[in-house]
Amino acid sequence: MVATETIEVTGHIVDSLLLAKILDAILDAGCDYEIEDVVIGKTNLDASSARIAVSGDEDVLGPLLDDLQVHGANRTAQVDATLVAADRDGVLPAGFYSTTNLASAVRVDGTWLPVDNPEMDCGLVVRDGRAVTVPMHRVRAGDLVVVGSEGVRVQAPGHARDTQVFEFMASEVSSEKPKALLVEQVAARLRASRERGGKALVVAGPAVVHTGGAPDLARLVADGWVDVLFAGNGFATHDIEANVLGTSLGVSVAEGVPTEGGHANHLRVINEVRRHGSIAAAVDAGFVTGGVMRACVLHGVPFVLGGSIRDDGPLPDVISDTVAAADAMRAHLDGVHVALMLASTLHAIATGNCLPAGVETFCVDINQAVVTKLADRGSHQALGIVTDVGPFVRQLADHLVGSA
Amino acid sequence: MSGAPLPWGRRFVMCPPRHFGVLYEINPWMRREVSVDPDRALAQWTGLVETLRSAGAEVETMEPHAAVPDLVFTANAGLVNASTDGSGPGQFVPSHFRHPERQPETPVNAAWFGARGWQIDRLPDDVDHEGAGDALPFTPDGGTTVLLSGYSFRSDASAATELSALVGCPVRPVQLVDPRLYHLDLTFCPLDGRRAIVAPSGWDTYGRKVVDALVPEPLVLTEDEALSFCANSVVVDRTVVMPAAPPRVGRQLEAWGFEVVECRVDEFLKAGGGCRCLTLALDTVLSRPRRQASPGSGPTSPTGAPRATPAQRARSTRPPAPRARP
Repeated sequence: MVATETIEVTGHIVDSLLLAKILDAILDAGCDYEIEDVVIGKTNLDASSARIAVSGDEDVLGPLLDDLQVHGANRTAQVDATLVAADRDGVLPAGFYSTTNLASAVRVDGTWLPVDNPEMDCGLVVRDGRAVTVPMHRVRAGDLVVVGSEGVRVQAPGHARDTQVFEFMASEVSSEKPKALLVEQVAARLRASRERGGKALVVAGPAVVHTGGAPDLARLVADGWVDVLFAGNGFATHDIEANVLGTSLGVSVAEGVPTEGGHANHLRVINEVRRHGSIAAAVDAGFVTGGVMRACVLHGVPFVLGGSIRDDGPLPDVISDTVAAADAMRAHLDGVHVALMLASTLHAIATGNCLPAGVETFCVDINQAVVTKLADRGSHQALGIVTDVGPFVRQLADHLVGSA
Repeated sequence: MSGAPLPWGRRFVMCPPRHFGVLYEINPWMRREVSVDPDRALAQWTGLVETLRSAGAEVETMEPHAAVPDLVFTANAGLVNASTDGSGPGQFVPSHFRHPERQPETPVNAAWFGARGWQIDRLPDDVDHEGAGDALPFTPDGGTTVLLSGYSFRSDASAATELSALVGCPVRPVQLVDPRLYHLDLTFCPLDGRRAIVAPSGWDTYGRKVVDALVPEPLVLTEDEALSFCANSVVVDRTVVMPAAPPRVGRQLEAWGFEVVECRVDEFLKAGGGCRCLTLALDTVLSRPRRQASPGSGPTSPTGAPRATPAQRARSTRPPAPRARP
């Protein structure tokens, strides 16, 4: 993990080449620097001074700064974070520190506490010797909340962790990449994550079903490549509709033509699942005989269906309180190494907001704007793949299923 | 072309070796099993005093103390900044020794100077510096006096900032890299306004460049020559009093018009000290009386706000420096 510390050096640092020596030593150690402030003495009698931000891998930075201290460069004074108790439930103290999704640490009593669960747009609470991100609505009166930015250290996304991924990730959004190669690389990342014991999260939009990708996603679920699924009422409904009635939003999945009375197909499916009480009950009763949701039920893959204001029905499993839905999603994020956003705009962004920066995120959408939007909202680590999601999922399943 | 004679080196303080011995080991030359011959040490010390006096220098002496055998190396007592305006003898910055064995010397030295009217200015407690042993001035002809200060084995680099603020002259720290040449005065000996004996093998590459830029005509020692301690010499006008004079070095000095006098001090080499280490010049002038600070002089921050002096800032922010012990 990359860390940054600030050092100061004062004296006749130019004539004595001390400044040059320090900067060389930083580069020689494989670290980087930014001169935040430099004051050069006007005559050779005047002292000069420089304040330098040094960044580099944590393991290298500590010993480097110890070495630099020998040359007279000292770490700038560090202060503890200011903690203020929340005075009521669901309200952060004024001036609260608003988090990023980057790995962070909070200095308390002279010790840097790593933040357990980096998530953007939250408050930072210190309790029982740990620092945790807490969404505004979950703050409780008396929680000690970090106020101001002093004593908070944010680490830039690492370069050292896995060069291959980050070279790959560096390719950003493109509709002009060879898709087969991208699919192969995503498959390789999923394999690598599984070998490390990481979880894979899939966020799926209804277009996965519309484009005929549901059976392939179901294959991936059945073969253990998906550890948790986030979606909305639409995806789950059309997945079940396609299985039960052979249509997705009334259009025949096999023939691509509208069916008579098909516009109400999804409502009939929702109605029947509501009669069963839950998707799992509908699966158990034999009402649902295929598809992604059934694969999740049969293989014990947890799913969170988040509701929205325009939902029909909704399905009984849909959490229509959006705040509760987001909390339910958060509960599944621990251990997620790879997130695959498949043709989903709103759920992908909602998920991106909760993910720590360290999670490798692949955003697959036919619309470049969705991919860009995710990146613009702060999920810089997302790699966009602009393509039709159906064929993408099929190729991915062909790579992975049975290959474990 | 010869440079202007050294403006200092006519008055020294020395300490007779009545209690001198190798009682501990804090540099690679010291071996406790090697015994010092006290009579021979005293005879050699007396010989050095006489040599300096006959070269034209005054020598004062300081009372030795049984508990601090290395008091004999007065070069390490501190840094002298003699007054030029007759307002008193001047300023003395007592050394802050890295090794606990030598730390009791500081109050003895401060008391000696204090009793003679010197203004005593101290380094912060967490900064080590071993006085003239690790800092020697060089005044290039027509230029400003620069204090070259060695660091790593005995002194801290950050001491340069403190010293500069205290004595008011530029201090250029040079990293010492050979533990056998653990003090700057084993690697650097100013001869006049153009020349100095230098031992680059004792410095890192940056230090070599710094000295290159400072000294127009260096007498560059080989590593073997440096290890003979020939840079640990005392210069009195055009006389160079040396613990050893390798033939090439002696010839070069004579070619430059210096008189070379070899003065045996091998009893003191057992403790890692030569002629320079046994003396402290009382007439080094590091800065002229301070100019009144005028608006716009000195460093200011980009916002124009007054900056803390380096010494103030360093004191208020520095964690304890790591101690590298050779």
